[in-house]
Amino acid sequence: MIADTAKASTLPPRTSVKKPRRRRRNRGSRTAAVLLLLTSVLMLAPFIWTALSVTKPTDVAFANPPVLSGYTPTLQAFRDLWETTYFAQYLTNTLVVAVMSTVVALVIGIPAAYALSRSPGYVSAILLLLALVFRSLPRFSVVLPMYEISKALGIYDTTFALAAALVAINQPFTIWLLRNFFAEIPKELDEAAMIDGCTRVGMLYRVMIPLMRPGILTAGIFVFLFAFQEYLTALVLTDTSSKTVPVFITTQLGQTLPMLQQAGAAAMLLTLPVIAISFIAQKYLVAGLSEGSVKG
Amino acid sequence: MRRREFTLLMAPSLLVMVGLLVVPLVRTIQWSFQKVQYGTPGEFIGLKNYSQALSDPRFGRAVLFTLLLTVVVTVAILVLGYLVATGMNGLGKLRPVVLGAMLVAYVLPNVVGAVSFSWLVDENFGGVVNYVIHALTGADVLWFTETWPNRILLIAHTVWHLLPFSMLMILAGLQGVPAELREAAKIDGATAWTTHRYVIIPTIRGVLGFVCLITIMDVLRTFDSLIPLSPQADAIGNESIMLYVFDVAFRNGSQQLGLGSAINVLSILLILACLFPFIRGLLKEAKAKA
Repeated sequence: MIADTAKASTLPPRTSVKKPRRRRRNRGSRTAAVLLLLTSVLMLAPFIWTALSVTKPTDVAFANPPVLSGYTPTLQAFRDLWETTYFAQYLTNTLVVAVMSTVVALVIGIPAAYALSRSPGYVSAILLLLALVFRSLPRFSVVLPMYEISKALGIYDTTFALAAALVAINQPFTIWLLRNFFAEIPKELDEAAMIDGCTRVGMLYRVMIPLMRPGILTAGIFVFLFAFQEYLTALVLTDTSSKTVPVFITTQLGQTLPMLQQAGAAAMLLTLPVIAISFIAQKYLVAGLSEGSVKG
Repeated sequence: MRRREFTLLMAPSLLVMVGLLVVPLVRTIQWSFQKVQYGTPGEFIGLKNYSQALSDPRFGRAVLFTLLLTVVVTVAILVLGYLVATGMNGLGKLRPVVLGAMLVAYVLPNVVGAVSFSWLVDENFGGVVNYVIHALTGADVLWFTETWPNRILLIAHTVWHLLPFSMLMILAGLQGVPAELREAAKIDGATAWTTHRYVIIPTIRGVLGFVCLITIMDVLRTFDSLIPLSPQADAIGNESIMLYVFDVAFRNGSQQLGLGSAINVLSILLILACLFPFIRGLLKEAKAKA
């Protein structure tokens, strides 16, 4: 406010300078806008190409040079995918793993994140450090032993084992992200609620969680996406019965052409919800990326 | 907060992380000193796995390739991320649309994105890029079987996948640059270039450092994208460290678990060395706050 009024009083006759500047700026930003739209088309190019290829009849889909027009679009690849492979099961597995790990990660992560947000400053620096180190760890150094442990426990190739592994792998990040949201809620609120007779845990569930809704939603979206994206862990910890879609897609590669086209259809089915998420839940994605990393 | 409450709130997460992260990690370190197969107790062989890994030319190649990929991608990500973010910062109503379109590449499973990416240059899938290059220059590029074309493909894919993240971080940084600072630079007669070089970039140094760090971490453990994009990675010298571990310790019933674990430990050391400056900064900060 102070800065605003100061600026207004020190810049008297603005109109004469402003006009040409604004016009130049407009032209510049129009060029920028066109360039950025081109960039986003380029970023989407792989999916556009895949979408075209899987809706062509099989005989032209693989033609070289590529056939760009004069064919009737068809959804045969999707039909084949649904009827001749276990895609429905793989999709169910992927969703079950993602939902399970999201729920567990939040249920155990929220109390931990809250506790950390109410402890002294150096704890958070150490937490960030741990979250980073575990994030950067080569996955195989935890996943290969998990493979052996899951076989020994008889839970190899179950969605449960995969979900448990993913919760653990992502938990440092989840806690770190949630902690940053909790840190924004003033401590005085805790005290007020506890004076009114709430226990610490009761206060957490009655006061904090409702306040934290956007933060929890953000963390939930990220944990869900991490589980949904995971390839390496799923490759090692699953075989046939709990295989996930990303693993399925890679096993289709290098096979027959129709199978390749089915893989493309599967990739498309996975891409569409993600496109929806990045438009509808954009606010949360952006919040999660900036809260989860820059702020300390 | 009382100590008991703190322990109670932390316990479930701690249990999961110790049981499923720390215990496996200790296992990997143990295995790295053993000759061992899945499901059998190992036999202690000292540092033999390490000497075997370090004397294997394939390991050296994998390390060099991974570092090459990391350096090139990190530089590209910072430069492109800065350019796109600067453009985005001046963008009005279109911003959510462009942002949404760009985020898709980041949010999709990496391996699925890589599969889609590979089809742009795959002769068997119509390969639109090959077609354009052939039409323009008459050349046929062997994207999957020749070392350098394949490297360019891998670099392009990794940049494509990580650019949205970097752009978003830098955009957040740019929005924190006070308008007064830009105005002051303008009044002092700074050109666009000098404003960026001496005013904006130094102001968002922290964000750029962070993007750099995350990109290094992510590229060092490249694995997923190589499966569809470089099916003959080993033969053409484009194998990443993680792919090498996978081949030695898992793929096709391969059971050199000790060797694979030794490589894992070595790559942890490599990663920690790359992260060291940042870790030191954080520890200093922690000490200052304690």
